[in-house]
Amino acid sequence: MRLLTHNMLSSNIKGVVNGFPLRIEAEKVVEKTVEMNGDFLKKMFEKVDWKAFVDASRAMGYNELPEEADPSMLDSDEFLNNFHHALLELHLEEGALVCPETGRRFPVTKGIPNMLLHEDEV
Amino acid sequence: MDSLSLLWTAAILAAGLYWFFCVLGPAEQKGKSATAISGGSISAEKVQDKYKQYWSFFLRPKEIETAEKVPDFVDTFYNLVTDIYEWGWGQSFHFSPSIPGKSHREATRIHEEMAADLIEARPGQRILDVGCGVGGPMRAIAAHSGANVVGITINEYQVQRARLHNKKARVESLCEVVCGNFLHMPFPDDSFDGAYSIEATCHAPKLDEVYAQVFRVLKPGALYVSYEWVTTDKFRGEEAGHVETIEGIERGDALPGLRSYADIAETARRVGFQVLKELDLALPPSHPWWTRLKMGRIGYWRNHLLISVLSALGIAPKGTLHVHHMLFQTADHLTRGGHTGIFSPMHMILCRKPIST
Repeated sequence: MRLLTHNMLSSNIKGVVNGFPLRIEAEKVVEKTVEMNGDFLKKMFEKVDWKAFVDASRAMGYNELPEEADPSMLDSDEFLNNFHHALLELHLEEGALVCPETGRRFPVTKGIPNMLLHEDEV
Repeated sequence: MDSLSLLWTAAILAAGLYWFFCVLGPAEQKGKSATAISGGSISAEKVQDKYKQYWSFFLRPKEIETAEKVPDFVDTFYNLVTDIYEWGWGQSFHFSPSIPGKSHREATRIHEEMAADLIEARPGQRILDVGCGVGGPMRAIAAHSGANVVGITINEYQVQRARLHNKKARVESLCEVVCGNFLHMPFPDDSFDGAYSIEATCHAPKLDEVYAQVFRVLKPGALYVSYEWVTTDKFRGEEAGHVETIEGIERGDALPGLRSYADIAETARRVGFQVLKELDLALPPSHPWWTRLKMGRIGYWRNHLLISVLSALGIAPKGTLHVHHMLFQTADHLTRGGHTGIFSPMHMILCRKPIST
């Protein structure tokens, strides 16, 4: 699971008011190189919840992203590379996504988050 | 016969058998092998039982007693059939209008790309595939549009198959799969730039529920296209033959109850969508989608023989033969549905979530 996807996942357990973002518990993180596309990154920058993204990247062991970011930073190659790396090249293979309100763990196995709810959570 | 002629005869026989089973049989040359057919996430010993449970659940009349059980049975269905579908049909578990001069694969891809075009998917957008199966459409749509696609499917086995296929694809970086229930989507409100579902929402007991979820997770102004399985205006509930065909389709495809074509737009509007376009893609000038099902007696018996041998050898789980037979019978019902025009698997509806609600 890439951080791009994590940035779109939330806990939808019954009764939860704000299930975003899910906290990451990383057991196995894998890096896969992928070609960088500046246009794509610029478009994604507008859509990404930055705070959730930075926290998630740190949970995955990557500390190069700044706490806050604004569009002017996209002109810097270094920033662009780091953004690209964290967004698309870090994969959570094994671990869990934790609901911020209930603490319920959604397992991530072989890179895939299992967001299926139990009967009593619906 | 002298030994040379014997050798030649044996070689030709072997080549013939290979061609008959291994070339004509599978849908894709480098795809699923018949020796790798499993019951999905169901362990081999349990396939027979699970099949019986599935069959008895759907034998009940149209009013499925407990709607809550439906997702479990849809899950079971896909555990049982995914491998056979991949082996015999390909990675896109849906129909497409046949196109003279083009292969099934080409026709499938064109049908999928049209969905991407209808929702105007573009690079930099995040698109949701509602009910993504093993990801055939996802990969084609990501490749065609350059958009990022997130797929959701309830079946854990399919999710792993999708991931495997994604890894081998050129568009791996654009595709991601999540295991979840599209009736309770694990996404925040207003998050996707577009969405599509290809012949998947038919598994929801109430179409309102899945449409409402899609509506919720789309950004205002975003487009959603769905290819729906429906009974058409030619369907007559009083005609026993019609009812038999439709019930056969429902039973053999894990459907809680086929919708009438008239229900689709009504449902979309009820949850808040603006309906932009609606068209049964199966109607002329499209060519038949059901001709692909005509595998013929020979094809069926060949596959039956192959699966029997593999089951006897313990390679394919016991029960696979029943599942294969069920799918063959279902193919009959589907063909009749298409031929008589009472059923369509591609009633297209294009909707927009209004900018201000």
